[in-house]
Amino acid sequence: MSIHVLPDDVIAQIAAGEVVERPASVVKELIENALDAGASAVDVMTEKGGRQTIRVADNGTGIKADEAALSITRHATSKLHSIDDLINIQTLGFRGEALSSIAAVSKMSITTRHQDEAAGTFLVLEGSRILKQQAVGAPSGTVVTVEHLFFNTPARLKFLKKETTEKRQISSLVTRYAMAYPRVRFRLEQDGREAFSSIGSGQISDVIMRVLGLDKFRQMIEVSGEDTIRETGQRIGVYGFTSMPDYNRADRSQITLFVNGRWIQDTSLTYAVTQAYHTFLMTGRHPVTILLLDIPPEEVDVNVHPTKAEVRFRDPNIIFAAVQRAVRRAVIEYAETPLLRSSRQPLTTDTFDDHTSRWHSGIDSHNAEQLDIAWELDSPGNYSHQHQTGHDEIYNPGMILDSSNAPLKPRTLPALRVVGQVGAMYIVAEGPVGMYLVDQHAAHERILYEQFMDAQQRKAHITQHTLEVQTIDLSPAEANLIEENLTTLRAVGFEIEPFGVNTFVIRGVPAILANTDPVEVLEEVLDDLATGQAPGQTSIEERIIIHVCKRAAVKAGQILSLDEMQALMRQLERCESPHTCPHGRPTMLHLSSDHLAREFGRK
Amino acid sequence: MRVAVLQENLAKALSIAGRAVENRPIQPVLSNILLRADDARLQVAAINMGLGLSISTWIGAKVETEGDITLPARTLTDLVNNLANERVDLTLDANTQTMNIRCGTTVSNIKGISAEEFPILPEGGGGDVAIPGKVLRDMINQTVFAAAKEDNRPILTGVYTLFEGNTLTMAAADGYRLAVRTAEIERNFAEPLELVIPARALAEVARIISDDDSEVLFSLPDDRNMVMFNIGNTDVSTNLLEGKFPDFAAIIPKNYSTATVMYTTDLLRACKRAEIFARDSSDSAKLFVQPASGPGEPGAVRIVGQSAERGDNEGLLDASVEGEGVDISFNIKYLIEVLNVIPDERVVFESSGATNPGVIRPENRDDFIHVIMPMSTGR
Repeated sequence: MSIHVLPDDVIAQIAAGEVVERPASVVKELIENALDAGASAVDVMTEKGGRQTIRVADNGTGIKADEAALSITRHATSKLHSIDDLINIQTLGFRGEALSSIAAVSKMSITTRHQDEAAGTFLVLEGSRILKQQAVGAPSGTVVTVEHLFFNTPARLKFLKKETTEKRQISSLVTRYAMAYPRVRFRLEQDGREAFSSIGSGQISDVIMRVLGLDKFRQMIEVSGEDTIRETGQRIGVYGFTSMPDYNRADRSQITLFVNGRWIQDTSLTYAVTQAYHTFLMTGRHPVTILLLDIPPEEVDVNVHPTKAEVRFRDPNIIFAAVQRAVRRAVIEYAETPLLRSSRQPLTTDTFDDHTSRWHSGIDSHNAEQLDIAWELDSPGNYSHQHQTGHDEIYNPGMILDSSNAPLKPRTLPALRVVGQVGAMYIVAEGPVGMYLVDQHAAHERILYEQFMDAQQRKAHITQHTLEVQTIDLSPAEANLIEENLTTLRAVGFEIEPFGVNTFVIRGVPAILANTDPVEVLEEVLDDLATGQAPGQTSIEERIIIHVCKRAAVKAGQILSLDEMQALMRQLERCESPHTCPHGRPTMLHLSSDHLAREFGRK
Repeated sequence: MRVAVLQENLAKALSIAGRAVENRPIQPVLSNILLRADDARLQVAAINMGLGLSISTWIGAKVETEGDITLPARTLTDLVNNLANERVDLTLDANTQTMNIRCGTTVSNIKGISAEEFPILPEGGGGDVAIPGKVLRDMINQTVFAAAKEDNRPILTGVYTLFEGNTLTMAAADGYRLAVRTAEIERNFAEPLELVIPARALAEVARIISDDDSEVLFSLPDDRNMVMFNIGNTDVSTNLLEGKFPDFAAIIPKNYSTATVMYTTDLLRACKRAEIFARDSSDSAKLFVQPASGPGEPGAVRIVGQSAERGDNEGLLDASVEGEGVDISFNIKYLIEVLNVIPDERVVFESSGATNPGVIRPENRDDFIHVIMPMSTGR
């Protein structure tokens, strides 16, 4: 086989393969061009999932008549002049590949008029060849119509996903840009029907409301944070919306990140977001989040990937920390009691659609939307009766002691009056705005966890030494794990020493574990450690503490006295995040007075 | 069944037997109390199947017709407690199993369940060993508190009881403390006999002993692996715990580097004050033992309870300190519990360092020893 230089059209098609892999990538490139052209309105129309037609119209600056033909050649761009510009890139595109690549694999027509020129240009192309170019009358801006995408690359055509998949890809793409550019009016029409539109008000909340729907938007918390890079003093802005812990999903796909107006995919930042929900979400659940990051251009390198979906940060840790901090703060501030829902309505939602009906009790399901309005934020500090009644308690191991006679931590919940216990598992309590059901185990876990973390921070954890030395025999793998984490275990309060091959002795346990079997706890910890640690996850120390607290907490099925329940509530009221247990399960459900009234037909 | 008893006697019998009634039994009959009339006396009994504990007590009665019935413990007790201190006539309608209770002008009817459904109560044993009431009560009180309350190691919820030679030894431990008490008995056991008796049952026995001088008859295990205590008119029987009690002799420290003698009540009150503040830190309180600064000077013990949030308490006690100073933390509740059962004027605290077991015992006595493990705070 002889070696020869490929003909231009083959080169173009190969290059196109990198940029244009599916109809959505065409839409992406065209939207970016429109945005770079300063458009304030972008109108996207597709037919048959973009296979038949994609039309993107904008009201931007347009292309000059004499440059129109040039625009479709490879590496032709108006956005970049020299390599130095790359470092300070502010536009979305810059490689000069988009139009040419699309043109190489489709039949394309461009109608454009530069804002400074009187007449527009109409271009018809087929597989990079210009079939026709003529002057036309047109509004300022550009309309690119792409038809029969991949007509000349049958292999690519064959591998396209189902039409619905492509449609979904396109609509999520358009909504993403709409969120990133709230000033720009976007409109998406698919097969003759308007699928999405934004009003271009400049408020991202307006866009998100249209993307998620009003119901879900109500469950979003505003995130707004700022960090400065120490060396340069430049700022990193984090702004956006993230879901209340109660509203979550099984995958990360609804964590949407934009860096300087560019949608990016970044596993570590996605982690940062999930991480911020630590102890608020069950493992394996992820929030719905939209974040706009404002990062100095020299801190990010966007020229990593042809579709620019990945970026590289000069110092990823700073960005990670900034994102995590901002989201964490928002979540902690706004953590809400999950509202009680009847008829086993799951607390979590897997699809975007099943969250609209929350209170299907059969009595007034048509009222579902109204019922949703019952998000009363219990504003802390509004309750005047902060008086605590101390009671004499008789010592009883495992009993929850009311140690907070003198309230020093701020109240995070309203004062709750214990009404009783249900099924030896839940505490029924009354607050100023309705009824609360509290999971006694989860609540106690949360209390112990915060106490333990607090003691840990003050380096004041307490070890109770054991009377007899207990030995544990382990498998070699487990023994290794213990060996590795010996210092961490000690830091938490376990007094463990190696004692021969794969054998350890326990001489002391964290004091709160004094009434449980330390070996069982240790085995549980080992099981957990054995599953390995993914980056960005909780520290091992914290994981051990979570296990310890789980063990030490009152169990479901334990009958509590009224005093014990009161003590539990008093302490929970002053937890930093009283609404979830350290595993992220809710500690309480709230049935508001309004709900009750409605359910009983009083309203 | 037709009997007449005194309200006072019946109320007392119910309060004794009622302690064995289960809170939430599986069968309804188990929440009842058995009444059985024969031979000029009325038996009042209850059984807790979960614990294997039964309590039976007899009171004098004027029996016209013999018979038996079980009545709901709660209803019966509440009623009898509120009757006048007079004669109570009990008449059973055998057809409806309803007990008619008449006292003065008050008439009540309580619906019962046939006594045939009630489990068979263990019969009185031979009373193999006789122990003076006061001795047994003290032995029990000085050990049961140290038994484990949670049953993740069931054997530790019992009190180890050893008959050997002329000595009876009782010991209880919960993993963090150990209490051992010995006493002389009259019978000589050539072969040692080891039992582990549930602490809960022993606590009942101690509670029932009201007469210091009368003897408690202890019946050794029969073929049902049960022991029985006969205290006056009351029998308490309980299942034994099975398993090997840990070898506690090895745990008792053989020597010490510091021995401190303190007044029991002073120390107890100082501990109680420290406890108020120690609650926030897992009940951990610190003891600073300071030897005398010179000849003729007293040594001292400083007891400190601290709460990061609520404040602290510090108490200084005079003490006679022999050996070097030591700083040590304990679960202050453990200290309070042991001091509560030491009636002697002074106690000795022996220690050999902040991470080694401490010993508390009454001064000049070697029949009671309490070992308590220290706590340590972050490094």
